[in-house]
Amino acid sequence: MVLVLVEHSEGRPDDLSLQALTLARAFAAGAPVHAVLAGPGGREAAAGLASQGVATAHVAEHPGLDAFAPEAWAAILEGLAEAGSATAVIAAGSDRGNEVMARLGARSGLPLAANCIAASPGPPVELTRIRWGGSLLEESRLHSPRALLTTAPHAFPIEDAAAAAPPAVELFTPLIEDQDLLVKVVDRVGASGGGISLADARVVVSGGRGLGSAEKFAIVDELAGLLGAAVGCSRAVTMAGWRPHTQQVGQTGTKIAPDLYVACGISGATQHMAGTKGAKKILAINSDAEAPIMSLADYSVVGDVHEVVPAISAELRRRRGA
Amino acid sequence: MSLWVGAAVMAVALAVSGTLFGRRVLQIYRLIRSGRPTARFDDVPARVRNEAVVVIGQRKMFQRAVPGIMHAAIFWGFLVLFPTIVMAMIGAVDPHATLPWLGSQGWFAFLADLFAVLVFAGVVTAVVIRKIQRPPRFKGSHIGEADLILALIAGIVVTLVTWHGSLIALGYNEWPAQWSPVSNLIAHLLGTGDAIRFVERAAVWTHVVLILGFLTYLPRSKHLHIASAAVNVWFGRTRARGKLETLDFDESVPEAEMRFGTGTVADMTWKQMIDAVSCTECGRCQDACPAYATGKELSPKLLIMGLRDQLMAEGPGLLAARAKGETPDLKPLVPGAVTDNVVWDCVTCGACVRECPVGIEHVDHIVDLRRNLTMVQSRFPEEAAPMLRDVERSGNPWGKPQPDRAAWAEGLGIRVLEPGDPPPDYLFWVGCAPSFDERAKQGAISTAKLLQEAGVDFAILGPRESCTGDPARRMGDEYTYQAYARQNVATLDESRVTRIVTTCPHCFNTLGREYADFGGRYEVVHHTELLAELVREGRLKPKAGERSVTYHDSCYLARHNDVREQPRQLIQVIGRAVEMPRNRERTFCCGAGGAHMWMEERGKPINEARVREAKATGADQLAVACPFCTMMLDDGVRTSGTEMEVVDVATLLVEAVERGKAKDG
Repeated sequence: MVLVLVEHSEGRPDDLSLQALTLARAFAAGAPVHAVLAGPGGREAAAGLASQGVATAHVAEHPGLDAFAPEAWAAILEGLAEAGSATAVIAAGSDRGNEVMARLGARSGLPLAANCIAASPGPPVELTRIRWGGSLLEESRLHSPRALLTTAPHAFPIEDAAAAAPPAVELFTPLIEDQDLLVKVVDRVGASGGGISLADARVVVSGGRGLGSAEKFAIVDELAGLLGAAVGCSRAVTMAGWRPHTQQVGQTGTKIAPDLYVACGISGATQHMAGTKGAKKILAINSDAEAPIMSLADYSVVGDVHEVVPAISAELRRRRGA
Repeated sequence: MSLWVGAAVMAVALAVSGTLFGRRVLQIYRLIRSGRPTARFDDVPARVRNEAVVVIGQRKMFQRAVPGIMHAAIFWGFLVLFPTIVMAMIGAVDPHATLPWLGSQGWFAFLADLFAVLVFAGVVTAVVIRKIQRPPRFKGSHIGEADLILALIAGIVVTLVTWHGSLIALGYNEWPAQWSPVSNLIAHLLGTGDAIRFVERAAVWTHVVLILGFLTYLPRSKHLHIASAAVNVWFGRTRARGKLETLDFDESVPEAEMRFGTGTVADMTWKQMIDAVSCTECGRCQDACPAYATGKELSPKLLIMGLRDQLMAEGPGLLAARAKGETPDLKPLVPGAVTDNVVWDCVTCGACVRECPVGIEHVDHIVDLRRNLTMVQSRFPEEAAPMLRDVERSGNPWGKPQPDRAAWAEGLGIRVLEPGDPPPDYLFWVGCAPSFDERAKQGAISTAKLLQEAGVDFAILGPRESCTGDPARRMGDEYTYQAYARQNVATLDESRVTRIVTTCPHCFNTLGREYADFGGRYEVVHHTELLAELVREGRLKPKAGERSVTYHDSCYLARHNDVREQPRQLIQVIGRAVEMPRNRERTFCCGAGGAHMWMEERGKPINEARVREAKATGADQLAVACPFCTMMLDDGVRTSGTEMEVVDVATLLVEAVERGKAKDG
């Protein structure tokens, strides 16, 4: 049996967990795949696994599981894996998945292989993993009576199982010790600024010191609004107190990876550009043709940001109006 | 009082104060002996020199004229007056007795009078400074304790001359009275009569009691520096002030003895413990500190005071537990003695160390605290994490691709040293900032052009060069630093490199001073040193321009490594030199040191403060000799809206050499 931790929200299984199930079915090679769902909404989410070839969905319900409780989740996985003599326990390589699996490894004294992009059951288990922030692929063999794996995000497609029947749903109340609840959620802080997350945005419009003042940032906000983009800024802008540090793009701020990065009045200091390495295209608008960013950008406009940026906004409006 | 009673009282007084003094001193001595090891026993001639210059000569005190003269008067006074303590103890028992020979010397009586007056004048000056002038450097110091000590010192010299005066009035003096004019004057004021006998007894006994009281109080107060400062200066750094002590991670080191910086007082080295008990709270460090000056939490003075307070509070328990073979129950130093912010505010510029008159080495404390936070607790400003990761993974602090390292040199015809190639006269160690930063690379390009112009045989390592590990090391990540130290030493040795030139003072310090611990022994010169030599030899012929230039000393060049005059020799042949108020070894940091290039600054920006100082000289150009100073000060010029050009000395020299050619042509 192969056991899969299925994370869920709003009564639906998470995409990353469905990706993990794709690996689990291949890894099980015909043996039954069981899913584990913990916390409120588990029942509804289990129904969403109908096409996933899951034999049994174990839904753990307990007051201690109302919020994320990594040690308790690990305890539940350990209990079910022991009871069903699981050959592997697989979870998505999400922040939660990796944490729970690391704790499971520590509890059971078994090695954990995180961030897998391929795995065959062996024995020994043969793995390909992403290392060093994506710069290396590691091929390794895992010698363990029970393989503990997490899947790299988006390494596996979400697929329906060939022959699928809805899973048998087994509700149960796990035995949770006090010490399993030592790590608990005490507070939730929403990502500040709202809107689109800078790190994930497809388009980012940033302003630099060249804008001149906090008020003049309005032209950047306007363009970002028209493009559905996240707003960023340079370190100089944060230092001047025009914008919060959460909007700072750069090595000591947020690293971004948009399809398009529009840098308005930004000179392109190395520390700033280190945060834009992931940008596919860079458009720089600066009055100084010698500014470092001009040689690093894909498109450069030499001109006053206070004229160029509103002109772009006006043109966008005109075309949409037309 | 009969002789015997007097002798008995004196014996008891000496025994009591001696015991109280001795017990405390022994306790402190034991504590210091329990400190972690540090190698401070080499280089005796330099230690003797430091003792002569810094302790006897009071050089650091004289950096501020009035406090310097004040302190020297008191310090030298006590050296000269030392025999009078013994004389007073003898005289208290038997007014007719004194030290043989010296007690009858007129010149000594004269010196005693002179220095008693000087000490008194010193105390008055100190009171004026502390009570009327009130410089901000005393903010946070124990003012009451200092007042008590000044009162004791004044009391000691006043009772001394009163005693001497009464001896003259009684005719007991063995020295010719005219040699001691002040005491003689007091004798005249006392006149004649039986009361003088009482004055003599009262003065000499008060004098002795004050001295013994002082002795007892001394090791319980900041005035312990009287005893410890000379010791601390002796064991201070004699060379390579920018070199951090290398932690030994060798597997042969027993785990209990392995240090990961300083987490509790038990991790402090014995030198660091002497540092802590030597602080006089004078605040010269605080006055010079760029972090303190720009409103950060760090005060180097309060840092050392915090460490001292925790050391003194936990020291007895630490010794007791160790004696019983138990694990001492110690609180962490961070937070406790100091906050996390204090530890991370430091730019490791060393201005505090440079100013300290008693040889305290603040930067070593800071880095040891960082090492513990970073390596043991993984606790550091989160925005610096990408830098640590990029150094570790990519070999440079911005995560740039290593193969692009020589991109700056394209088209310049610079030899890239391949494995097996014959070694050049000079290896040009470029460093990460000039390799990857648009602004910083100008200095490297200019240097390369000048070396070519002068016909110097040089080459670069290109992609085989990597970060020296310096930014990681200054963040406390000693593991990553040591990995790079080994790798770079292996690369340099393989390439049979013997001489290195670099434009980066941080690389200069690491390659030239710190790599010795990993077997890397090279002659490392800064580009300003080599260029000054080429100008002197006539291999470069610059012509000075009309523009005025002010030169900003990099901390790691001017203060940590004593390269101060060569850059100035270059400025002389480039343009009209003007100095900023804070120059040479007393320079003011640009704000990038101590890995602050990769941290967010809290409070007012240091770079803007320095740019304003440069602008105030009226100079047209701000010359720098460090790629990080280039970036920081250029940023400071932009963010403060100052009109000023920030340029590497080498770039200015290229222009001057071109002027020279134009003139010849």
